[in-house]
Amino acid sequence: MGTFRDRAAIAGVGYTPFSKDSGVSTLTLAVDAVLAALDDAGLDVDDVDALATHRVGDSTPPWVVAPALGLPEVTWYLDQFGGGSVSHSVIGQAAMAVAAGVAETVVCYRAINARSEFRMGGTGRGPAAIFDVQYQAPYGYFAPPQQFAMYARAHMNAYGTTHEQLGHIAVGQRANAAKNPRALKRDPITLDDYLSSRWIAEPFRLLDCCLETDGACAVVVTSRERARDLRHVPVLISGAAWAGGDSFFSGAGSGPGGTDLTVTEAARLAPRLYAMAGAGPGDIDVAELYDCFTYSVLVQLEDYGFCPKGEGGPYAASGALALDGELPVNTHGGFLSEGYVHGINHVAEAVAQLRGTAGDRQVPGAEVALSTSQPGYVLAGTSALILRSDT
Amino acid sequence: MSSAEPQAEPKAGPERRASSARARFPRPEPDRDSAPWWEAVRRHELTVQRCEGCGTLRFPARAVCNRCRGRAWEWVPARGTGRVYSWIVNHQVFMPAMAGEVPFPVLLVRLDDGEDLLMYGDLVDGSPGDLEPGLPVEAVFLDVDESTTLVGWRPLR
Ligand SMILES: [Zn+2]
Repeated sequence: MGTFRDRAAIAGVGYTPFSKDSGVSTLTLAVDAVLAALDDAGLDVDDVDALATHRVGDSTPPWVVAPALGLPEVTWYLDQFGGGSVSHSVIGQAAMAVAAGVAETVVCYRAINARSEFRMGGTGRGPAAIFDVQYQAPYGYFAPPQQFAMYARAHMNAYGTTHEQLGHIAVGQRANAAKNPRALKRDPITLDDYLSSRWIAEPFRLLDCCLETDGACAVVVTSRERARDLRHVPVLISGAAWAGGDSFFSGAGSGPGGTDLTVTEAARLAPRLYAMAGAGPGDIDVAELYDCFTYSVLVQLEDYGFCPKGEGGPYAASGALALDGELPVNTHGGFLSEGYVHGINHVAEAVAQLRGTAGDRQVPGAEVALSTSQPGYVLAGTSALILRSDT
Repeated sequence: MSSAEPQAEPKAGPERRASSARARFPRPEPDRDSAPWWEAVRRHELTVQRCEGCGTLRFPARAVCNRCRGRAWEWVPARGTGRVYSWIVNHQVFMPAMAGEVPFPVLLVRLDDGEDLLMYGDLVDGSPGDLEPGLPVEAVFLDVDESTTLVGWRPLR
């Protein structure tokens, strides 16, 4: 374990604008984000020898983006099936490819029209006919807000987690987004605003749910040595880890009995991630935690070891997650308020924090960041990164 | 499956007809492992698999035991009772067929046959406001039409 710790670095990040209707293809989004990331790194298209992405039938694969960009040669590529649960897997694998010498400069991207073209789990589009879905969809249960609401209710049942505690996460992240010019939602909200927003799937209200967003984001992964010659302070990939996924399959999931839905696969991943990076929860200066819904932040606070199991609610409500708190979380506003690019925008924000270029929302002295993917719920594995400033 | 009734006596007709909108919800798409389970539900029988190697009960349907890796199993009747583990009350119209149905609850139930045997289903003859963790429920069969039967859960008190 740990053979590729600190051997690869993120040298560039790039974005397209985030919107509700990009008006362009996912190919155009991908090309624009890759070019922006290369520009940020001070690299040229000719320097790129690998591309990596993930998708669920909703985007453009590397072998199309490569010729569209005019890459001279592709020595490695990754086109991983999956949604937010593999967002960090793609970057972790790029680091492995660089450490193994298979590629020198990998651009990882995610390009989606998640509002104007491919809305997750709806609207009017039926669910994919796989595995668990047949036992759920006939009851009108197949959309991500419903699934995460079911887990959130289980957590409320087990630990007394409250609506107000979930609300603190939404309110706090909006306050961060107010300091982020890129964020789609920048107007501050109050706990009352949260509590009066309409139900989507109880216990979730509208303000528990992330923004469906059109947009793309890309990061450049290269060797630590090469990154040191480039424009910015390298952000080292110190830890990368993966874990399997939860299901309602008997004898298979997390926790005693295999079906404790209040524990995610992140709880299994976290010890390996921290061990590889040589760090622990107390070393994390900023945490960008996958926030498809407020609850996924709350449960990851527990499963990544920032508070004991069952205490994610009180911890979130304590103010600890604010920019000046004990553990600044989703400093860009997250998917709830910046926009939803399925995970990679969390990595890009972590890079900004570690470079010290996050402007009004900068956490002073941030040196180590945790960035995570969907924690393994809903027929999905999980993956996460620990990033460190190379200073 | 109501525990009060002898299992040898199949019901003459559908115990309950689901609302007509339910016919426009996604239909179950059984796979090669699960087809017998859905056929049993159609007969108003709630079943789970029992591994012939280690005796473990399992659900959802699949061909290999994840405890002993054994491939021999039999379908056995479940007790037809369980306890509410979690639930949602859905308000959002995620597909047009939901328009006349919202708000509606969806339950996740732990079967009394085994702590890790979970099944989803409708709430039948109950109000979402009465739901609480551990609420005892029994399985009820909902005939959507001539080809599809679903499982619902009726509170036992
Ligand atoms: Zn077995």
